[in-house]
Amino acid sequence: IFEYNGSALVAMVGKNCFAIASDRRLGVQLQTIATDFQRIYKIHDKLFIGLAGLATDAQTLYQKLVFRHKLYQLREERDMKPQTFASLVSALLYEKRFGPFFCQPVIAGLGDEDKPFICTMDSIGAKELAKDFVVAGTASESLYGACEAMFKPDMEAEELFETISQALLSSVDRDCLSGWGGHVYVVTPTEVTERILKGRMD
Amino acid sequence: MKFDTSGLESHGQLVGASDGLFSGFPTAPSFEIPNTTDFDCFQKEAIQMVKPAKGTTTLAFIFKEGVMVAADSRASMGGYISSQSVKKIIEINPYMLGTMAGGAADCQFWHRNLGIKCRLHELANKRRISVTGASKLLANILYNYRGMGLSVGTMIAGWDETGPGLYYVDSEGGRLKGMRFSVGSGSPYAYGVLDNGYRYDMSVDEAAELARRAIYHATFRDGASGGVASVYYVGPDGWKKLSGDDVAELHYNYYPVQPSVVEQVMVET
Repeated sequence: IFEYNGSALVAMVGKNCFAIASDRRLGVQLQTIATDFQRIYKIHDKLFIGLAGLATDAQTLYQKLVFRHKLYQLREERDMKPQTFASLVSALLYEKRFGPFFCQPVIAGLGDEDKPFICTMDSIGAKELAKDFVVAGTASESLYGACEAMFKPDMEAEELFETISQALLSSVDRDCLSGWGGHVYVVTPTEVTERILKGRMD
Repeated sequence: MKFDTSGLESHGQLVGASDGLFSGFPTAPSFEIPNTTDFDCFQKEAIQMVKPAKGTTTLAFIFKEGVMVAADSRASMGGYISSQSVKKIIEINPYMLGTMAGGAADCQFWHRNLGIKCRLHELANKRRISVTGASKLLANILYNYRGMGLSVGTMIAGWDETGPGLYYVDSEGGRLKGMRFSVGSGSPYAYGVLDNGYRYDMSVDEAAELARRAIYHATFRDGASGGVASVYYVGPDGWKKLSGDDVAELHYNYYPVQPSVVEQVMVET
């Protein structure tokens, strides 16, 4: 069921910045329906979440998270820290332990003192914190290999963008169910850059 | 109940020439049946194991100048792409082509086997085998293995004394003569483009462009097709490979990226 729509997501940590990237295909098994599907959503300027897996669950889960975050903002009068947000997502997913959302979230944000934070979870909320990169989706095995090979610690924003784009494009080229372009967000303490990648459209 | 193995004997005497010609040749070995207690269940499991969903796109059509054959080049195992550079158009002999869809090993082996039988026919009868005859040979062989898990969806295209010929042959034992065929998981998309743009009186270049476009559109929509779109032309002098274009490049040729104005949003920190 995770391979019904197809997806590829990766997030990487650099020097005081992070990058999160996804593919753009929405398909129904082998047929491609759309080539501009958005998988990465902004929660606030320094917090992004990408949702891999079943597209309908990803959209519903995103709407629930936005609702919870807005309530938090109203009550606390500030934005959520990424670590807190990750715990929120994990709790929401575990609430549905016996009828889960078929999604794998990838959370990336800048925490206290703009320290980058990334984590991923399985569909029932098991957090996996990493210091370098996290991956999710149907192309995840290829992504692990590509990231492992290309990653270096403490990269600047431009170099991080190049690395994450190369890792994403080469991995989705080995996966039938993801690809058709790429969407990369590079976030530093002062700016958010969104770029669309030209990829193989097959 | 004794298992009937007569269907598996090879067709050594197909051409019906005098026995003297064939007595010197060893008969091709027929396939052995594995020693299991429950052969039916074994068959079913074997079929399930080798059951590729014919993840490919191949097409062929007859037009005024001959036959145009085109295919993609991706091999997929479930969701994983195992290769982007598979040769799916198999050269049976210099004037006949076969396309591969389904199990790669099945198609390659049986096409080569067909090539051998065609050559034997040529030597025995001092004339080339017709496309009709070649496709019938293959269809009969595949019919004998029906239900045993072979997966072959092929088109035999060639030029013989009666002109261009195109037959679709599959592992269920079907054999169809026609003017336009497309086989594989991407075939609905290819049919859409092919049927729309087809005219009998096209030039070779127009037909090649139609075939290339049809394959490109199929690779765009179908996840299991991709790689390189190869186009072959079969004419009175035999087949000729016209082009092998990477599908990614074709996309940006047909739909160049429009540079769009990017808005710079000022973020308050």
